[in-house]
Amino acid sequence: MSAAPGIAAITYALPAASPSVRQLAAAGALQSEPEMLERFGFGHVCLAVDETPYDLALSAASALLRENDLDPLSIDALIYGGAPGSIAFSHPRDAADEARGLCDVRRFQYPATRLQFDLGIENASVLGLDQLACTTILGAVRVARALCIAEGLERVLCVSSEFYPAAAGREAITNCTSDAACAVLVERNSSRNRIVAGATVTKGYFWSAASMRDEVMASYFPTAAHVMRRTVAAAGWQPSDVDWVMPHNVSATSWDILFRIAALPNARLYRDNIARIGHTLAGDNFINLRDAADAGVVMAGDKLLLFSYGYGAHWTGLALEA
Amino acid sequence: MRPMTCFITGATGLLGGEVVARLVSDPGVGTIHALTRSPIVGGSARVVPVGGNMLSDGLGIARSVRNRLAREVTTVVHCAATTSFSQSLDVARTANTKGTRRLLEVTADWPNIRRWVFVSTAFVAGLRTGVIDEADIATGDWANAYEQSKAEAEALVRDAREDWAIARPATVVCDDATGRISQVNAVHRALRLYFSGLAAMLPTAEHSRLDVVTTEYAARGIARLVMARDVERRAFHFCAGNGAMPVGQLLDATYESFLRVPAWRRKGIARPVRTDLETYRMFEAAVEDAGSERVRQAVRSLGHFIPQLAYPKHFDTTGADALLGEAAPDVASYWERMVDTLVAAPAAREVA
Repeated sequence: MSAAPGIAAITYALPAASPSVRQLAAAGALQSEPEMLERFGFGHVCLAVDETPYDLALSAASALLRENDLDPLSIDALIYGGAPGSIAFSHPRDAADEARGLCDVRRFQYPATRLQFDLGIENASVLGLDQLACTTILGAVRVARALCIAEGLERVLCVSSEFYPAAAGREAITNCTSDAACAVLVERNSSRNRIVAGATVTKGYFWSAASMRDEVMASYFPTAAHVMRRTVAAAGWQPSDVDWVMPHNVSATSWDILFRIAALPNARLYRDNIARIGHTLAGDNFINLRDAADAGVVMAGDKLLLFSYGYGAHWTGLALEA
Repeated sequence: MRPMTCFITGATGLLGGEVVARLVSDPGVGTIHALTRSPIVGGSARVVPVGGNMLSDGLGIARSVRNRLAREVTTVVHCAATTSFSQSLDVARTANTKGTRRLLEVTADWPNIRRWVFVSTAFVAGLRTGVIDEADIATGDWANAYEQSKAEAEALVRDAREDWAIARPATVVCDDATGRISQVNAVHRALRLYFSGLAAMLPTAEHSRLDVVTTEYAARGIARLVMARDVERRAFHFCAGNGAMPVGQLLDATYESFLRVPAWRRKGIARPVRTDLETYRMFEAAVEDAGSERVRQAVRSLGHFIPQLAYPKHFDTTGADALLGEAAPDVASYWERMVDTLVAAPAAREVA
């Protein structure tokens, strides 16, 4: 296998609290009946109480450097996406108040630059990504790969950290949501998880998720299947070549449907984390890939398809060779 | 030979009205007695309204009028029906099955009847697949209550009379080859759902085709069936048959039409995914579980007939082609014009 930009390392951080769907329902954090959400495959979510998004981001990124024994100074760029400005440093219970900071000088208190300082990655130039919702980390990896190829950067650290403010509940279109941070290291010459291709479709018509919920729901499946097929084709693969799909952790029922219409005859869906974590805004696909690799279910050379949907609306696929 | 005297139901309907217009212009037809709840506006002097309705005993016709009809009528043409795909079986049976039974009872002792024409539907074939012959008798499962009620009515007609002839048109989608739409029905509402981006999937099978016809063709066929010789105890598929449109081609043509609307093109609404029926049923169940009321209603309305596409069938039209001397127009010859018409402006009449 020739060297090419790839995912050299993945770490993630979850908050300590892990209430069940029924506990969330009892706390009034769900719109749907817990029985239905359990039927959709959800069990627990991870709920930040004492952790800020920045705490989680720093935890995930520090772990990545530590686990892989990386010299912080070897990181050429940091791409951050997720909770912005003052909100990134607030506890969920205070988020509404802290959001006022976006309207004063605290707007310029950037979690991305603070991460650079706290991690000691002083050589890293810093970029922030926004408005990609649950596809943010996939977008970051796309940019990182482009930087490696276009500018010759060796190591780009992508970090995403998101939480649901306490007042927002724990449900997004019948999916249970978790707070989390995810760190992904893209290396120009990675021996594993080679990035073979990516595809993104953005449909601005659906920019207002709240008012276009019905249309989004209807458009989700055909567009998702289209993007998955397009990603596979861009990788030069046949649908039958795909070994694993690393999903975003939305309802297992919706994946049952999408998996059938995507028509990947030999692919398996890594779904263990839907019940354990639910849907994190920060990086389901990579959290799943890390866990699948740790569990030994993904083998070197396996062809992996990562797919996620984000409000806005974005459908993104990524083809990796493990 | 004396001109025939017709008694027709459903004359104020779209198809029935077209049938009447053709019969009026035929010199072989004399008076046309049209069962109606209200006077027929703009009718010919040869069209005589008969006050009554299909839901009342004796069709609600005054005894003296019934006696006169019994003496004069030589041909019965039963077009009246409720054609909604979404109605309950009870409602469909009340209008279509029980209404037919009442008409059979009323006309049972009319001594001069030589032909009893029943306008049914090709989709009495229900969920059968493969080639559907005109001689086939409907049995088994149906996609909706409309199909079942019409199949049951066919059986009543066959049992009650020796002089029956059955017209089985496919679903009517526009007036004629211009694509003009005088009446919006479930097909049009489905297309509007796809246009609005509220429909995600289309259940199909490998050889699925959509068989639809124009009002002009169906009315011509029914009128011919009224007049022709040697059609007793036979059914005729007034269908596109070989000219039915493969579903892939249908989607291409439909979305070509949609794309001609600049405001629609900018939205980037996805084409629906073609899928098998099992996946479609999973999607329906998920929407029932988690969808908004608006999406639920949309998917339910599609569910009354869209699953037919997953039961590919080919209506043999040998008898109908021979009767008319030609086949129905290919669906592809007018489909895009019909869709253009639909998305450009709302049509005048809606069928529930």
